[in-house]
Amino acid sequence: MSNGADILQNKRWSMIFRQHPLLEKILNNLLILVGSIFVLSIIVFVFARLSPGDPLLAFYGDALEFMGPAELDAARARLGLDGPIYIQYIHWLANAATGNFGLSLQYKIPAMDVISPLIVNTLILGITGYILVFTLAILVAIGCALHEDGLFDRIACQLGTMIYFIPAFWLGLCLVLIFSINLNWLPSSGAYDFGMSGNLVNRIEHLILPLTIMIGSHIWYYAYMIRNKLLDENRKDYVLLAKAKGLSKSEIIWKHSLRNVAPTIINLMAISIPHVLSGTAIAEAVFNYPGIGNMAVIAAKYHDYNLLMLLVLISGSIVIIASIVAYSINEVVDPRMKDTGVTVWEK
Amino acid sequence: MDVLLHLENLSLSFDTPEGEVQAVRGVDLTVKKGEILAIVGESGCGKTVMCQSVMKLLPGNARIASGKIIVDGTDITNYSEKEMRSLRGTTFSMIFQDPMATLNPTMPIGKQITEAIHQHRNVSNDEAKSRALELLELIGIEDPVHRYDLQPHFFSGGMRQRCVLAIALASNPKIIFADEPTTALDVTVQAKMLNLLLEIRDKTGVAIVFVSHDLGVVARIADRVAVMYAGKIVEIGTVEEIFYDPRHPYTWGLMQALPSLAKDGQPLKSIPGMPPVLLKPPKGDAFAERNEYAMKIDYELMPPMFQITPTHNAATWLLDERAPKIQSPFCLNQENKNQ
Ligand SMILES: Nc1ncnc2c1ncn2[C@@H]1O[C@H](COP(=O)(O)OP(=O)(O)OP(=O)(O)O)[C@@H](O)[C@H]1O
Ligand SMILES: [Mg+2]
Repeated sequence: MSNGADILQNKRWSMIFRQHPLLEKILNNLLILVGSIFVLSIIVFVFARLSPGDPLLAFYGDALEFMGPAELDAARARLGLDGPIYIQYIHWLANAATGNFGLSLQYKIPAMDVISPLIVNTLILGITGYILVFTLAILVAIGCALHEDGLFDRIACQLGTMIYFIPAFWLGLCLVLIFSINLNWLPSSGAYDFGMSGNLVNRIEHLILPLTIMIGSHIWYYAYMIRNKLLDENRKDYVLLAKAKGLSKSEIIWKHSLRNVAPTIINLMAISIPHVLSGTAIAEAVFNYPGIGNMAVIAAKYHDYNLLMLLVLISGSIVIIASIVAYSINEVVDPRMKDTGVTVWEK
Repeated sequence: MDVLLHLENLSLSFDTPEGEVQAVRGVDLTVKKGEILAIVGESGCGKTVMCQSVMKLLPGNARIASGKIIVDGTDITNYSEKEMRSLRGTTFSMIFQDPMATLNPTMPIGKQITEAIHQHRNVSNDEAKSRALELLELIGIEDPVHRYDLQPHFFSGGMRQRCVLAIALASNPKIIFADEPTTALDVTVQAKMLNLLLEIRDKTGVAIVFVSHDLGVVARIADRVAVMYAGKIVEIGTVEEIFYDPRHPYTWGLMQALPSLAKDGQPLKSIPGMPPVLLKPPKGDAFAERNEYAMKIDYELMPPMFQITPTHNAATWLLDERAPKIQSPFCLNQENKNQ
């Protein structure tokens, strides 16, 4: 009897799925998200603990020297640093599942509290940088495609290659030297001056230099890729037909080619999220900008396990969610992708 | 008949890393109002380049080396891109070989047609749409209202080629360059397309420059035929003159290679050898190497155009009065053509 009920149950589920392909898709993606975060957390957990160094040093600082072995053991037990590694992981996982990510060993307050103000700063930098990188990359690419092998195209390609190979931190130091120290136009570090966290102008002033190196070190690669895509597109026959209709080069790019390379650009934007995100970390480090990228470096340095785990989970989720979203957008933008998807998977 | 297009000693070269490719070498040609002029020749002889050079659709490394392009009495050889844009679509249009690739895959058919209409006329969206529907009707698309909003991938190859034709006709051009418009279609669709082109010509009076390497197709559709070899026109005449009285040995070769025109029991002949490389064209007659009737002079001097009748010209030294008289190895009788 119970067997029959089981089958019935299964049938009902599959019915629901068949009627709501969107539901199935969301559930699938959720499974992928949770699964990969789980694997990621294990890897980071194990590697952090295998690396040499004592996390207690971060917590107690110099006081560590005056503690006896019994005190040390007690401290370890209190901080969840005792026992075999898999037990430690299970403890961490059980707590994390309830939203408790533990104390930051260095700051001695809940890891979440350390990070939450930083996330905002990083999101401001990351999202503005990301949008600017791609807006400018697309504009440069269009400029190049309009004047293929012309002056603008050649200058952009050659200057771009040069700047692309200049290390971002070195470029950052040069910018600080020129604009902060010599000219004294822009602040050299931080996200805002003391007590001005709500002041937009002040924040923008602090963003200009970090954004400049983010854009400078990322835009060329993407501009070049999009330029080549546009040029490939421009060699297709439909562009010739559009030309034969009397359309101008720029009309053809805006009305035809750009639209047809949009799926590629979106794909590129999606897979580039980790790349641009790591750019945020470098910008944060060079300009001492209080964000999670900068914090991750500090957390790793001081063996601040709980903080590190939380940071990894957050950035990992961002990357994975972004890819899923990008793929879904792709289906909407390019109907061909969806079409083939249906015919391939349907019976 | 009024002359619409006149190419005067037109030469066109591509600058490539290997050197100058002389794709078109001194072509003289006229296209008259409402006629269908076929251009035939082997792959690579410059048919496409010649058509696209008139519309200036060629890539940046192409340049007109000499000669003139005269449209409706106006010399457009040195027209700027902007001036050319106002002629594209209104004076001349083009349809291409591969209908699968010539339409924008992500734009509805209707929009691709109205875009061509809006380009040259200040009309409202509704007016453009009704004109587009009219065009779809004209080229024989059934249920145009429904198909108007569909993307090209819902259409068959033949239907797409018709849509390309609708786009080409959108602004009432005087000449349509049809660059192998039926090559990619299967035979039955091909026949319909040819009939459609004839019908369009009769209805609108548009002249069609019909590029092809299929002489069978050419015989059905053309009023006049130009035979091209290695960037030059080697023979030109009315369709009757070219098929019944060809004078150039290259034209003979093309005819003998035609399965549908070969006599029963006679093996098909192909022209031996390959066309010359246009990087360094030979100094005499480019066809001499492959010509079994070639004389010494063919290797020394380029033959001029000899006039056979007022409409029939051929560029071969065989027509010189000093040359030995050679009987055409190929003879087509009336029955064959009517088949
Ligand atoms: N962009 C280019 N750069 C250099 N050479 C070119 C270019 N385009 C065409 N050519 C050369 O010009 C010549 C004529 O080419 P064209 O495309 O006009 O031939 P075609 O007669 O149309 O041949 P097909 O029947 O294959 O279409 C060829 O020898 C080709 O190599
Ligand atoms: Mg061609």
